[in-house]
Amino acid sequence: MKSSIISAAIYLGISLTAALIFLGVTLMGNYTWVARIGGSLWIFLLSNIVLMPVVIPWVKKRGEI
Amino acid sequence: MVVEIRKRAVLPVAGMTCASCVAHVEEALNDVRGVKNVVVNLATGKAAVEYEPSLATLADMKKAVDEIGYEVVLATANLQVTGMTCASCVENVQKTVASLPGVAKVVVNLASESARVSYLPEITSISEIKKAVQEIGYGAVERVEGQEALDREKEARQREIRRQLINMIIAWSIGSLVMIGTFQPYWFLPNIVPEWMNNKVFLFLLTTPIVFGPGRQFFVNSWNGLKHGLTDMNLLYATGIGAAYLIAIINTFWPDAGFGGREATFYEAAALLTAFIILGRYLEAVTRGRTSEAIRRLMKLQPKLARVLRDGQELEIPAEEVMVDDILAVRPGEAIPVDGLVTEGYSSVDQSMITGESIPVEKKASDEVIGGTFNKTGAFKFRATRVGKDTALAQIIKLVEDAQTTKAPIQKLADQVAGHFILGVHALALGVFLFWFFVGYANWFSPESRLILTPYLLTGMGVFGFALLTSVTVLIISCPCAVGLATPSAVMAGSGKGAEHGILFKGADAMEATAKLQAIIFDKTGTLTKGEPTVTDVVASGGLSQEEILRLAAAAEWHSEHPLGEAIVRGAQERGLYLEDVDSFNAIPGHGVEVRLNGQSILLGNRKLMAERDVPLDGLLPQAERLEQEGKTVMFLAMAGKPGGIVAVADTLKETSAQAVKELHHMGLKVAMITGDNRRTAEAIAQQVGIDRVLSEVLPEDKANEVRKLQGEGLKVAMVGDGINDAPALAQADVGIAIGSGTDIAKETGHVILIKDDLMDVVAAIQVARQTLRLIKQNLGWAFGYNTLSIPIGAGLLYPFFAQMVSPELAALLMAISSLSVTMNTLRMRGYVPPIRRRRLQEAMA
Repeated sequence: MKSSIISAAIYLGISLTAALIFLGVTLMGNYTWVARIGGSLWIFLLSNIVLMPVVIPWVKKRGEI
Repeated sequence: MVVEIRKRAVLPVAGMTCASCVAHVEEALNDVRGVKNVVVNLATGKAAVEYEPSLATLADMKKAVDEIGYEVVLATANLQVTGMTCASCVENVQKTVASLPGVAKVVVNLASESARVSYLPEITSISEIKKAVQEIGYGAVERVEGQEALDREKEARQREIRRQLINMIIAWSIGSLVMIGTFQPYWFLPNIVPEWMNNKVFLFLLTTPIVFGPGRQFFVNSWNGLKHGLTDMNLLYATGIGAAYLIAIINTFWPDAGFGGREATFYEAAALLTAFIILGRYLEAVTRGRTSEAIRRLMKLQPKLARVLRDGQELEIPAEEVMVDDILAVRPGEAIPVDGLVTEGYSSVDQSMITGESIPVEKKASDEVIGGTFNKTGAFKFRATRVGKDTALAQIIKLVEDAQTTKAPIQKLADQVAGHFILGVHALALGVFLFWFFVGYANWFSPESRLILTPYLLTGMGVFGFALLTSVTVLIISCPCAVGLATPSAVMAGSGKGAEHGILFKGADAMEATAKLQAIIFDKTGTLTKGEPTVTDVVASGGLSQEEILRLAAAAEWHSEHPLGEAIVRGAQERGLYLEDVDSFNAIPGHGVEVRLNGQSILLGNRKLMAERDVPLDGLLPQAERLEQEGKTVMFLAMAGKPGGIVAVADTLKETSAQAVKELHHMGLKVAMITGDNRRTAEAIAQQVGIDRVLSEVLPEDKANEVRKLQGEGLKVAMVGDGINDAPALAQADVGIAIGSGTDIAKETGHVILIKDDLMDVVAAIQVARQTLRLIKQNLGWAFGYNTLSIPIGAGLLYPFFAQMVSPELAALLMAISSLSVTMNTLRMRGYVPPIRRRRLQEAMA
């Protein structure tokens, strides 16, 4: 499998998990749906930005071994 | 199963002369982890290597070979990289190029927008390197040199300035309308601004072209980087602008969504954020060009035309067409086109632009003239000796350009921090969002609070809107642009300033090391002294006359190239003595000479030589000691193993030596002198100059050891000497300062090259370096200080106490001010004159 697909699967997967955890936590509190969904999207976006530069080179490096 | 992907490379190795060299290189390469199969061919000078790219890099292999005394010869490419704005861009370009298989080393410089790449063309071509840079969103072209480079660089800079100016006009003109429209209900504005300007759909229509027009570059560039797993400043901007714009749209079209409603649309945040960032980019493009002004001035010195005498006719031709040995004519008020030797005529020439010498220098037949200098009064003709890239001016430009593409050690730390900064800021923004969402809003949010410097009340702001606003502000306020510019801009300004005064630093590391010097060793002959000794005393014994002693000594030194030998020959010739040629000549370095004249053995040299040859000196010693106490160098003459007499020679001190030593002491440096002379002579000279530490009776090959000994005391040592003869000591020192190089800069081995033969330039070099390091520290202090202060404030640290938040547009303004202040601080170097130079100028004028 191409390293870019593996990378995307990893960072998208982790970001999605983070966003879902966030959503889950907000469900336990008294938040509006806009805050819940908006917040989850922001978490998803920032997590992606943080993870992409870490995951892509890591996968590439492992692929070369 | 793990499959190993092996690659093959053929490395050109220089310096191999025999089979054992082959074995050494093979062994060194085999020791590199990941290298599997090495075959070295002596005839072709190449090493074929199979390696695992995940374990071994080209840089590792080069290091292994270089360490054992051979050299992997790599090609060097100088690229002009456009579009870099901050330290992360530098890190991105560096990382991308370094990851290419054939690249051994890459140094990227933000201030000069350049990348110097050492690579193996057989593995990676220059076009592949350029393509890799372009793929991550930057422009890359091969750098050209000289006037063409100046033109191309100027053109590119003007294009960038023009582009950002257009963007700025669009962003600011429409952005001002958005701001006026947004604040229409506040202050006095309802009286002069129509109400429809506050219509949210109208504001949406105004803001959209700003975000997707001038702001488009941030989205495109950040996406290009992200695709390759790289983050840069553009990403911070894009997330910030995008989030503010998105909140504004939601509040306009879905006002009940909980983002603060129609009263908090933040269109002005998206518009002014873009406008401020572009203002910062524009000002940076304008001011950054000014830090490289010195090299530009040097390039402009290169004359375009030359008057050549061919077939008895005076022809005006382009300067680059002048050939070596052409005879050229120069009239008063004209620039000298190339380097050469005056053949006829007399004039005074202003050389200040090359040597920093303020007083014009007189030129007569056989004097050297430098291309690019300015002929003042008379007319003269000269023969071209160096043309094109070999001229002193071309060499100076190249050296300064090369220096500007290097990195000071202090920059490496800044680069490392800035390189991981963007990632850290996004992680921080994530943390800040979570904190304000789950903890901060519930505990501290006040509907009466407002954004700093705005009339906005955050009344309708929901938990998500508030947490998002804080998170976006952190992204914007944390820009490390200033960190990226701090060091390279100061190095550019400093190296250029040095060149203006005839002081050439070979790299940023040399400049930093010079600034940190604690001790200076001066070579005596030719450095502290004029290097032109004269015969002062002749003592005869053993029945020979003084004239006979001098005649024999001069004959012995007839073939010597040592300055003392030349002085004796000159002394004999001045006295009209007839010199015979010797039968054999043997120079004994550090001791003297041994010759045979008319079948007789003659020794001329120091005590060591006489002691080694068992020549008794008892009768001559009292006189020798007296002469040595006067600072004279004593040479004993012996014939057939018997003492014949003494020839004393003294070298005169340069006019500025004592003053330079005094200045260096005043600057807190330890000053030492190194010489082959005996202790008494050396001490006498040292006393005259004010030097307290003397390293005497040091053989030429031991000078480097003496430097090492001082370094062993924990001192940062500079060695000042003749660039060619003292090469090992200059190389051993933390900073080798080659003095009086004149115009043949390319031959020099020092880390710092002083064009003039003036010891005060050693002082000036340290002053320039210290001022540059001071600037670097100020810049870094400001840049890191700004981020340390601004990030907590942007994250809302003050909100619980003052109920005031930094708005994203204010964050953008602060960020632009921080990088601008660093550049402005660096520009102070433009007016800098080393204090020692300023004082001398004032003295000369008085």
